Amino acid sequence: MSIMEYNGSAIMAMKGKNCVAIAADRRFGVQLMTLSTDFQKIFPVTEKVYLGLPGLATDVQTLAERFRFKVNMYKLREERDISPKTFAHMVSSTLYERRFGPFFCEPVIAGLEKDGTPFICSMDLLGCINHAKDFVVSGTASNQMYGTAEGLWEPELEPEDLFETISQAMLSAVDRDASSGWGVIVHVITPEKVITRTLKARMD
Amino acid sequence: MEALFGIVGKDFVVTASDRTSARSIVIMKHGEDKSRELNKHTLMLYTGEAGDTVQFAEYIQRNIQLYGIRNGIPLSVHATANFTRRELAESLRSRNPYHVSVLIAGTDPKTGKPELYWLDYLGAMVKMNFAAHGYASYFCMSTMDRYWKEDLSVEEAISLLKKCIAELKTRFIAQLPEFMVKVVDKNGVREIQL
Amino acid sequence: MARRYDSRTTIFSPEGRLYQVEYAMEAISHAGTALGILGTDGVVLAAEKKVASKLLEQTASSEKVYQLSDHACCAVAGITADANTLINYSRLEAQKYLFTYDEPIPVEQLVQRLCDLKQGYTQYGGLRPFGVSFLYAGYDEHFGFQLYHSDPSGNYSGWKATCIGANSSNAQSILKQDYKEEMGLKEAKSLAIKVLSKTMDTTNMGSDKLEFATLHRSSGGKVIYKLYKPHEIEELLKEEGLLNQATERQDL
Repeated sequence: MSIMEYNGSAIMAMKGKNCVAIAADRRFGVQLMTLSTDFQKIFPVTEKVYLGLPGLATDVQTLAERFRFKVNMYKLREERDISPKTFAHMVSSTLYERRFGPFFCEPVIAGLEKDGTPFICSMDLLGCINHAKDFVVSGTASNQMYGTAEGLWEPELEPEDLFETISQAMLSAVDRDASSGWGVIVHVITPEKVITRTLKARMD
Repeated sequence: MEALFGIVGKDFVVTASDRTSARSIVIMKHGEDKSRELNKHTLMLYTGEAGDTVQFAEYIQRNIQLYGIRNGIPLSVHATANFTRRELAESLRSRNPYHVSVLIAGTDPKTGKPELYWLDYLGAMVKMNFAAHGYASYFCMSTMDRYWKEDLSVEEAISLLKKCIAELKTRFIAQLPEFMVKVVDKNGVREIQL
Repeated sequence: MARRYDSRTTIFSPEGRLYQVEYAMEAISHAGTALGILGTDGVVLAAEKKVASKLLEQTASSEKVYQLSDHACCAVAGITADANTLINYSRLEAQKYLFTYDEPIPVEQLVQRLCDLKQGYTQYGGLRPFGVSFLYAGYDEHFGFQLYHSDPSGNYSGWKATCIGANSSNAQSILKQDYKEEMGLKEAKSLAIKVLSKTMDTTNMGSDKLEFATLHRSSGGKVIYKLYKPHEIEELLKEEGLLNQATERQDL
């Protein structure tokens, strides 16, 4: 079993019309044994930028703390919030710093730019950024998520429709992955507010 | 083969650790205490590679003690757990990492709320209502899933613990004849005889 | 004679003094005034900006009051260039603590860490001490709202209300007279304005000469740092009845 599958996780982000959504499963396990079903894998970076960290749990937590550190320093120095594009490059270079001893984590970033343009991207564990016009996926259920998201996503979705799309895509995907699931958390980021909902999935 | 348990109750945490110290197939010692008091309201249970365990536990213990002396304020359970997590996570990518799994049990010095943290040697940390380390977790997590509820009394928590130990006695190939049981509450850490 | 003990910071004079450290403190007593007042539900920091020339471009960010972390800020008196490195240092220390313990650093520990650095420069040779005094305002769950002062020697102390920089002894005595125990943030704000209006060498109070910040808690318990924008400062001055003379003078 690969180290990336040790704890299990599934995260995806989608673009909508003037909004983005990011969703993650809530399981924390050690190989096949589930230990916790409220594990945090999505971290707010600013009011308009969210970071999803699937992968090895220790690195998920370490990276979340490192990015909090860096973003806080950025905010104090620049006296403004970091934009999702800038943040993506911050994540990328932080990961590439460890080129020869990487963090086992393949992040997903979703947010709105200052002018309201949706931004999503995913990254490999070395920090290679992958931009997408529709959706990005990462984690142990990524194969399943590609299938479900490919089938459900359509362009120019309004926030509530985007929520429904990402939720159904997530629920169907994690049901076919033993290492992730046990509920899903969804954030839909709109210019006015962030809608956060937790969903029940197959709890077994 | 070693086992650690932690069960959160109303305003306390019950912890248990087996008392054998084994090398390969030989029991080297009975009556080992696999826990260290980090400060008045926090207890750490540890298991893992022989040698690493006590070294790591006492390193953490002394750092937490030092914090209390330096700053005149005791470190909270959450902060203690996070400090320990950082040490494990940093050690993981060092030349020779500690191979230690720990449970951190305590009551918050301000609110008095009981807290239990599960940490593995990789440095993953989860806050749980009940937890186990070692092979015991494969046998007993389901037992605790079934019988744990909120606001347990000490007696109820002990009886749940006894169920877990009974499960190990019937289904686990290794014998763990004796357990050290400790309760952490607002008055500190005390030992309980089963 | 004195110069024999001036060339290095780490040499005591025969009277047992460290001249360089004392000179650093002297530098501060010429800097723009900064004052802090501790209220029951918040802390006020206010500072006088010295405007060098009308031609000087006004920066958007503040030059006397800085945020250090989510729950602490400071006001500066002394050499701003020195202050910048120290502020960066304390921001890093605050984040390092948050990183290791996942809890905000207690205010006194933040002050202590900065003072340890400052103290080092009064002892190890070849370097001059930092020419800055700080007023720190902060909140932590152990002691609530707090106000501290630190000087170039690395000494620090906690205060209910205090003042640093030019004219500080004057301001200090007004504070001593007018400070009341159990004073709320609102009263603390007006006292701060009152003291500054009396101690600033200009009678011409305006937002271009003042910096003003508060630290308080929202109803949800979140610590909020608020740096007042120029029009908010004007409003404060107006409430205290101090704006009129300012605008009148500008009209003349």
